Amino acid sequence: MFLRLLFESFRRQRRRKAFALLAIALGMSISTAMIAVATDVGDKMNYELRSRNANLLLTPMDDSLDVNLGGVNLKPASEGAYIPESDLPRMKHIFWAHNILGFAPFLSDQRTFDVNPPNALGATLKANLMGTYFAQEVKTSSEPFITGVRAVNKFWQVQGNWPADDSTDALAGASLAAKSNLHIGDRLGIGSLTLKISGIVTTGSSEDEAIIAPLHLVQRILGRPNQVRRVIVSAMTKPEDDFARRDPRGMSQAVLERWSCSPYATSIAFQIHEALPGVRVDQIRPAEQAQGTVLSSVSGLMLLLTIASLVASALAVSAVMAATIIERRQEIGLMKSLGAGNTAVASLFLTEAGLLAIAGGLAGFGLGTILAQRMGQSVFGSPITVHPVVLAIVLFAALVVAFAGSTGAVLKAIHFDPALVLRGDA
Amino acid sequence: MSRKRMLLRLVLKASWMRKDRAFTAFLSIAVVATMATVALTVYSDLEGTFSREFRSFGANVIVTARSSSLTPDEVQRIRNIVGPKSEVVPVGYAVVTGENQQRLVAAGTDLRAFHQLNPTWSFNVDSRNASGESIDSHPWMGTRAAESLIADSGNYDLHYGSKSLTIQRGPVFKSGSEDDSRIYLGLEDFQRLTGLHPNTAQLRIDGSPAEIERQIQALSASLPEIQVKPVRQITAAQTTVLDKTRSIVLAASAVVVVLIVVCMVATLTGAVLERRKDFAVMKALGASNSAVNLLFAGEAALTSVVGALLGFLVGSVVAFWIGLANFGAAILPRPDLLVPVVLGSVLLALIASTAPLRLLRRIHPAGILRGE
Repeated sequence: MFLRLLFESFRRQRRRKAFALLAIALGMSISTAMIAVATDVGDKMNYELRSRNANLLLTPMDDSLDVNLGGVNLKPASEGAYIPESDLPRMKHIFWAHNILGFAPFLSDQRTFDVNPPNALGATLKANLMGTYFAQEVKTSSEPFITGVRAVNKFWQVQGNWPADDSTDALAGASLAAKSNLHIGDRLGIGSLTLKISGIVTTGSSEDEAIIAPLHLVQRILGRPNQVRRVIVSAMTKPEDDFARRDPRGMSQAVLERWSCSPYATSIAFQIHEALPGVRVDQIRPAEQAQGTVLSSVSGLMLLLTIASLVASALAVSAVMAATIIERRQEIGLMKSLGAGNTAVASLFLTEAGLLAIAGGLAGFGLGTILAQRMGQSVFGSPITVHPVVLAIVLFAALVVAFAGSTGAVLKAIHFDPALVLRGDA
Repeated sequence: MSRKRMLLRLVLKASWMRKDRAFTAFLSIAVVATMATVALTVYSDLEGTFSREFRSFGANVIVTARSSSLTPDEVQRIRNIVGPKSEVVPVGYAVVTGENQQRLVAAGTDLRAFHQLNPTWSFNVDSRNASGESIDSHPWMGTRAAESLIADSGNYDLHYGSKSLTIQRGPVFKSGSEDDSRIYLGLEDFQRLTGLHPNTAQLRIDGSPAEIERQIQALSASLPEIQVKPVRQITAAQTTVLDKTRSIVLAASAVVVVLIVVCMVATLTGAVLERRKDFAVMKALGASNSAVNLLFAGEAALTSVVGALLGFLVGSVVAFWIGLANFGAAILPRPDLLVPVVLGSVLLALIASTAPLRLLRRIHPAGILRGE
């Protein structure tokens, strides 16, 4: 009898049930989409920033001090220590290899170039010659890995073309180009080689004063095969907390394991140092630290917006559920006058609400997943994935909201005198 | 009783007699208005809120004198252009010689202002020592400079040309940049050692990326003798974060508002369809189509104005709280959003409640009253 009542109620009141179902489904798709966005936005934003600027700096352990003044390196190439270039792919073999999004090595020294053809400002030019990877393929044991400044320093603005790593093309820094009247297509002679300027680069730091050429070419010119002076690394990291700041050298084995299994900048730096023992790894602090606070405030903002929209959709759904029950007062009056107890009436309505909640929750989860993917695709260019645990949360939320909305209305309805309700006086 | 009073009475009575239903409509509108207010308020204040967060990124513009040094007059003009909210810290650099003929760069600046500009630098000591002395009153050493100078406790000498100065060993900092190879002195010490004046200034311009770009233009235009360079890494990061956050807030809010609107429209439409009998009785008593429309629309308008006002209030409070909880600075209510939010909600409510009447008009009143 109970089942029959239930079944008939759904069959005969399709429009009302459809409204309730629609409301629940919409409310739950909001919840699904917002929870997914709020939990994923931090990672997405982190990735976005990491692909724009590096956060770790590698220098040789026993290097002498940098003597850098106004973007000009005053330290002679003969001084200090170097990192072997062939060791760098080892970074992609550490535990957090997948978090290493890219790296770019640098080698530089002051050199005098012959300007060809000579321009109004003279036939020679003294400038910093800087070698780096632009988009170099690096051999690692797994998949091919293409990296360089184009991957880790997306803020470099190049007017003209990026040089290829196997060419003799070079970039001229914007300040240097303006000062020395260099243009795209000019040629600079150095030793037996000729560099062709393919683009002008603006970075806002020392590169603006330099000639930037493929690393292997610069190693040959400076006579430093397989050597680099510093490497910048872009690694996906977790914002630093108190645990991250502890010194790994004083940790017990278990604690060290837990520490190494969190992708803090410090633990990734420590692992890189273990893979490349002659290298010191520093965090580029403004990039690393400040972005942590900014990222957490972005995630926080989304979390609060999510809470607000969850409350909003809960209210909307509850209101709809309450409305559909209030409209059915007469039905309740009829049931009670035919001898149904309060429990029987309540359980019928709550079961209906439960069924609606589950169906609406499932539909809402599906719709919300699609919405979240669309949002991720349009804002970050990669879909936001919805964790399956969200389904459980959403179903639970749907049940709570539907019951909360129904209970009040059912209680109110069963307290009316059936006779009055049936006469239409209540 | 005049027609107007009759209409008013019908509208008020209808809301009063069907409190539950009117409440549902009211609640739906209030929820829509709240979410719309929260989303719009947060969205329109995002730039301001985030530029506060970006302060900790350090300098975003560097100015350099093309020849010799920045004069106090030039520094003052820079300050006037960028405004009081932005920070301007002049810094002088010189190559000096330390112990063992080690060459290194010494910088001279107002350490307190410089520390404020670079809050992410980490020091090996607390920012105030036991006797309450600030670390800004001692010369700083970069970690790498500290390692190679090896002056563990005592003082060390720096030489510049024929002059030399004994420096008391102070706090050691880490910045993760070439500054780690430098020594930062107070301006007086620096001038006593080198006799040089600052030739660069680090600027932290407050504002959006577009605003920063505008200030850079203004600086280069009015001070041709200095070179103005944005620190692209910082401005690019700021642009990225701001753009992406705006888009995601906008997309998420749009989804939430649209879905809640659909939900609300469904509720209101349902509520109107439930009132078929009222509709039929009115028509049977001789009301014209327009009178019935007016009545239903009036009821919806009344509910939605009150609901939207309440929603705006609640939404402003929620946005205020989001600002406090997440950014540590309140997001102030924006009265200019009141009119669009209220108008939008009323319009929605009107559409939702009058659209179904068209369906009903097709049915004969007698049919509805008979229960067909």
